[in-house]
Amino acid sequence: MRVEQLYKKNGHSWMVMGRDAERREEVIDTNHYLIQHNGRGLLLDPGGVENFSIVAAEFSKHFELANVEAIFASHQDPDVISSLPLWIQANPDLIVYMPQIWVSFITHFGVKRENIRPIPDEGGVITLGGHDLEVVPAHYLHSSGNLSVYDPESKIFFSGDIGAALLPDDSTDMFVTDFDEHTQYMEYFHRRWMPSNTAKMRWIAEVRKRDVEMLCPQHGAIFKGDDVERFLSWFEKLDLGSAWSNVK
Amino acid sequence: MSGNLYTRKMGDEYKTIFRQCVSLNTELHKLVPLAKKMHLLSSNAVSSAARAGTEGNAFRVLTQDIQLLGDEVSICIGDTQKVIGDIVKQASKLVGLFSNYMIYMDLDDRLENTKMTLSTKFFDQGHRLIVDELRSNNYKLSRSLLVLENLLSPISILVKKGEYLAVCSSVEAASASEHGVSFEAVSSMLRELVGQLRLQSARQRSLLRDLSDAMEKQQNNQRYLVYAR
Repeated sequence: MRVEQLYKKNGHSWMVMGRDAERREEVIDTNHYLIQHNGRGLLLDPGGVENFSIVAAEFSKHFELANVEAIFASHQDPDVISSLPLWIQANPDLIVYMPQIWVSFITHFGVKRENIRPIPDEGGVITLGGHDLEVVPAHYLHSSGNLSVYDPESKIFFSGDIGAALLPDDSTDMFVTDFDEHTQYMEYFHRRWMPSNTAKMRWIAEVRKRDVEMLCPQHGAIFKGDDVERFLSWFEKLDLGSAWSNVK
Repeated sequence: MSGNLYTRKMGDEYKTIFRQCVSLNTELHKLVPLAKKMHLLSSNAVSSAARAGTEGNAFRVLTQDIQLLGDEVSICIGDTQKVIGDIVKQASKLVGLFSNYMIYMDLDDRLENTKMTLSTKFFDQGHRLIVDELRSNNYKLSRSLLVLENLLSPISILVKKGEYLAVCSSVEAASASEHGVSFEAVSSMLRELVGQLRLQSARQRSLLRDLSDAMEKQQNNQRYLVYAR
């Protein structure tokens, strides 16, 4: 598992963890993000039960996880949030931000309602140690209740499954190095797992309103600099929900 | 045996206990139609006695006992159904808790080389919570098994009572003239139902015994978990 610092300035930082070489073959590779602000931590999509111990151990090398006060779940999938009961076991006061429509589903993991802060469909703001993070709606991309997070300070945009790539096992790059080459790993994922072109256009418009330096997906490599706009243009042209009828 | 092998074996045993609880649930559920048949039989017995008029006076006394037996069997079966539901839930929770325990063990190993003392303490707290929950759920399950054992114990007495009533009914059938056939029908149906009850109850007792043994073993293993911490 690799951990890299994406941003660090004035007590504010972003870290990413991914490329888990130890994971079982049948388990999809996932990226996990930790935002710190003045010693307080927020975990974005902490992952599944499968990789809880490795995520916790690796992030522990860089940050006192006792100071993680909240978790953000972009949507309800097991690779995003099934480790939640284990995190809550360590900190029963942990706050969990999640899309409102998934609250009664995620509570099936055994999480108590008092830990949950539902985020309405229109998005909102998460405050971490006095620092505001924007929560941007990304519904139907791919989950019907789906959220992204934008940090105006670091200009990092956490996009969840949008921009995800199913990379080959030997791929170790945390960042996209050759965008054209990279699209082959993204195309099927977006066309198969995402159903709505309307939702896609709305989300792209939301991203373009913001100054984004990095676009960080939950799977695959991170887009940096000009690759952010390259991705948005590529995504704009992609016909979502079109993979199934073309399956041969 | 190394800690990992030992705990893996414990995890497997919890899964076995869960499967045993599910089997016991299935076996106990087979008693429900028996209780219904018993109730139907007591109604038939009352009608037979009524149809026989004065010839059925002695048999009528027996029907009251058959009715009582049916009620007792129904109550006993109803109570066991409530308890077995909790037992399956408790066993399933233990499987989940133990799986979390294993994940925390793995995290402990990974954190050993880390200098982040706060994080280690932080997760240690979670680990302790799981061990406490495991211990308390183990205790709850063992207790529920005892309750179930107590609830099932009157069944063997009820079986004996049923066998006795079947014999008495046969005697009445032999001494009755015109209605002897219907009394004998009640008697043979009672004998059959009681026979099924005896068979089921023996199977359940054996399952329950295995389950209690497995739980006792896990209670001892539990001590290992506490000392291992």
